Amino acid sequence: MSPRPSAPAAPTEDTAARLGVPALFVEPSPALPMVGVSFALTRGAALDPPGKEGATRLMARLLRRTGGNRTATESDELIDSLGGSLAVEATSSTVGVHGHVITRSLERFTRVIEEVVQAPTFREDEFRLLLRETEGELIEALDDDRTLARRWFRRRLFAGHPYGRPTSGTPESLRRIALDDLEALYRRLFVKAHVVLAFAGDLTPEAALEFGRQLTASLPDGPAVPDEVGEPKGIEGRRLVIVDKPERTQTQIFIGGLGSHPRDEDHTALYVANTIFGGTFTARLTQEVRAKRGWSYGAYSSLPFDRQRQAFSMWTFPKAEDAGPCIALQLAMLRDLRERGVTKSELARAKKYLCRSHAFSVDTPSKRAGLRVDSVIYDLPARYFEEYTDRVQAVTLEQVNAAIRNRLPERDLLVTVLGTEAHIGGALREAIPDLADVEVIPFDRND
Amino acid sequence: MGRVMAVPTPSGASGRARRLEKINAKAPRFGRVSHLETIPFGRALTVERFRLDNGLGVLLLQDKSAPVVAYHTWFRVGSRHEKPGKTGLAHLFEHLMFNEVEGLPAGEFDRKLEEAGAENNASTWLDFTQYNESLPKNQIGLVVKLEAARMSKLVLRDPQVTSEKEVVANERRYRVDDDVEGAVDELLWKTAFQVHPYRWPTIGWMEDIQNFTTEDCAAFYSTYYAPNNATVVVVGDFSEASLLEKISQSYGDLAPAELPIEDLEPEPPQQEERRLEVVKPTPTEKLAVGYKGPALGDADHIAVSLLLEVLFGGRASRLQKLLIRELELATDLRASVGPHRDPALIEVFVSAREGRRAEEVLEVIDRELDRVRREPVTNAEIERARARAELGLVGGLETADGKASTLGFYETVLGEPAAAFSRLRAMQRVDAGDLLRMARRYLVPRARTVIFVRSGGTS
Repeated sequence: MSPRPSAPAAPTEDTAARLGVPALFVEPSPALPMVGVSFALTRGAALDPPGKEGATRLMARLLRRTGGNRTATESDELIDSLGGSLAVEATSSTVGVHGHVITRSLERFTRVIEEVVQAPTFREDEFRLLLRETEGELIEALDDDRTLARRWFRRRLFAGHPYGRPTSGTPESLRRIALDDLEALYRRLFVKAHVVLAFAGDLTPEAALEFGRQLTASLPDGPAVPDEVGEPKGIEGRRLVIVDKPERTQTQIFIGGLGSHPRDEDHTALYVANTIFGGTFTARLTQEVRAKRGWSYGAYSSLPFDRQRQAFSMWTFPKAEDAGPCIALQLAMLRDLRERGVTKSELARAKKYLCRSHAFSVDTPSKRAGLRVDSVIYDLPARYFEEYTDRVQAVTLEQVNAAIRNRLPERDLLVTVLGTEAHIGGALREAIPDLADVEVIPFDRND
Repeated sequence: MGRVMAVPTPSGASGRARRLEKINAKAPRFGRVSHLETIPFGRALTVERFRLDNGLGVLLLQDKSAPVVAYHTWFRVGSRHEKPGKTGLAHLFEHLMFNEVEGLPAGEFDRKLEEAGAENNASTWLDFTQYNESLPKNQIGLVVKLEAARMSKLVLRDPQVTSEKEVVANERRYRVDDDVEGAVDELLWKTAFQVHPYRWPTIGWMEDIQNFTTEDCAAFYSTYYAPNNATVVVVGDFSEASLLEKISQSYGDLAPAELPIEDLEPEPPQQEERRLEVVKPTPTEKLAVGYKGPALGDADHIAVSLLLEVLFGGRASRLQKLLIRELELATDLRASVGPHRDPALIEVFVSAREGRRAEEVLEVIDRELDRVRREPVTNAEIERARARAELGLVGGLETADGKASTLGFYETVLGEPAAAFSRLRAMQRVDAGDLLRMARRYLVPRARTVIFVRSGGTS
């Protein structure tokens, strides 16, 4: 039987300082013969040069392929043979190289990551191949209705802001990117001042420190790139975006506006409000849309955050005929929430749910390490996750209802619907009072 | 495959016998608990198998690595038990299980679990239906009572059935009707199987979903939802004796049911290639190919899984290298062999690059499959495939819920809860000759089904 995990994450500002990086976290656990390794940066695709959206993600993928002067195929064969998996990600705020490996191969696997982050080779042949592959993936993504609807929701809600830029790029932006752009991005991003390291699983803190040293040894010391991503402004007025796709029996609907960030004093209160409104299966949205009316298989709202405020949004997917009534219902529910707030008993239930279910945010070494990495990447207040349940417990009914009134948008609202415009366009326009603007976007517009 | 050998634990066994005696002394009519065996689960854990007098199976795995518990209930009923005209009933019923229970109005089941901090869900497939809850360890008493109650005291009323049918119809639109891959997958199975119930989708045909009555649902419930058709799987930080007592008390009044004898016709061997062509509003062509594969319990299943890893698993596999990188014919491809009780499909799905034809993709696949029927694969390829399988297994066991899913699945489909590990061991023994034989036995062009998806309807 494995021992209960000790108090989280050893390290330590001291340890991180010895490596010259902002943070290093270790979550040791011998429960499984596996180790998770995370090498994350505190800057990301917001640094894509203008008109060259997708460059940071391309750069990260190219590193994964060409580390140690290997070809993509050689890298894949090596990682597979070790019993490992290695993925890269690039969002507006971070670039991450994340992997898992069977313990017996940890040393060799760490060398692979070392080669990825410190010895990429920027091979022209692999770059060309990757460009064509990425363009193919962008076209393939047109099959995914939910992703398409969400993409246009983000792009229009955050128009003019880095959060509205497509981190995967567009076919057009990819064509403007040269190999030199990726090398320049690599040099700006891969400095010690941006690096957050985490190890989770079957290793000791001492081994983690040694591997951490190995992963950062030859990275330059700095300087950190200033974070110039400002606060997003959201939109003004009520706007409707229809992503027009033929032969849709169903719609994908995203409705929302600007949300909040943990730095906002009322963020926890708003988070609790979102739980009551659309955060669980018994929340108001699911009960009204799914349980009572059977209109949509899922009906949820969410309040994610980034380094700045992200969106508050509702997501439903009713059949085409129900799209108009469903939107009207959701808008009415939002108005009701703002006018009447939540009840004392709803608040009590939500608090119990959030505090008790927090156990599942920290039940594995990887999850615990992941939260710690997030706290640095997203610039969260000190001890944000450690004090999570205390903050939730402390929220009052007055604070929740004030946060709803102050934060949840009702007038400045974006409604994005993927569906067949000829069938549903009229009903959508009728369902949204005070509509300021309507835009119809062909689903295969890929700019 | 044989059952995993029991591990003798003399001192633990006598202590357990005394504890069971106490529990059984005050057990309800069908609630007496018997310990059947101890089964190793990986390098450090063991599963204890128990059974109540009413036939309810209980698998317990203590894992104190986090203060949580996963509680799963696996019923041996899936879409294979349905009849034509009533397809999708097992899945609709899974939805209805979240409604009213005697003494608990609709919605209260979920509300109580949420207040306890639980995450819960359910799923239905060809051979099973399962319900799962993950909750903090001090809330386990609640879930035992709730699950026992809905096993026998579900209330079925017309308004809930009507509303849930609409929810399921919307789920079908989401997963199938408006999803290219979902629609093609359904067509592939419908075309490949002509006799066996695997020919209809678990979610059911839309017409059948819309025609179900409350009486259909009640009959299904009384037939299949019985303790002797279910296994409770619990993984996490709990006290064995205390949990068994709760299970005995909560389920011990439920009488076993007379389960119908399954009366299925096996699918006759496919003697000819079946080809279909469909047009979908998609920017690129797609290809789906289905070969008849072995059942999960067939020793061939392990070797076929390894062969598919060599050919299609991960970017270093033969077909991914060829189709995506070298020839640039495809954007995405994957393949799997169905993990089912009866022989099912080896499925291959490929998304072609823009402007490329599905036939070009099929030609390359055919060439490679022909090669793998003629020449042995290399040892390096086999080693990589084994390592991928090992990581996949270990990675799936990180959470209590992951362990419970693995146990419940293999127990329900094979009767061997630790089969994930015995399969991994068996995989170590598979060699290039085995893979050659598998390719020749299963990847047979004359016994396959091929769907070409043409691109149409773009704006």
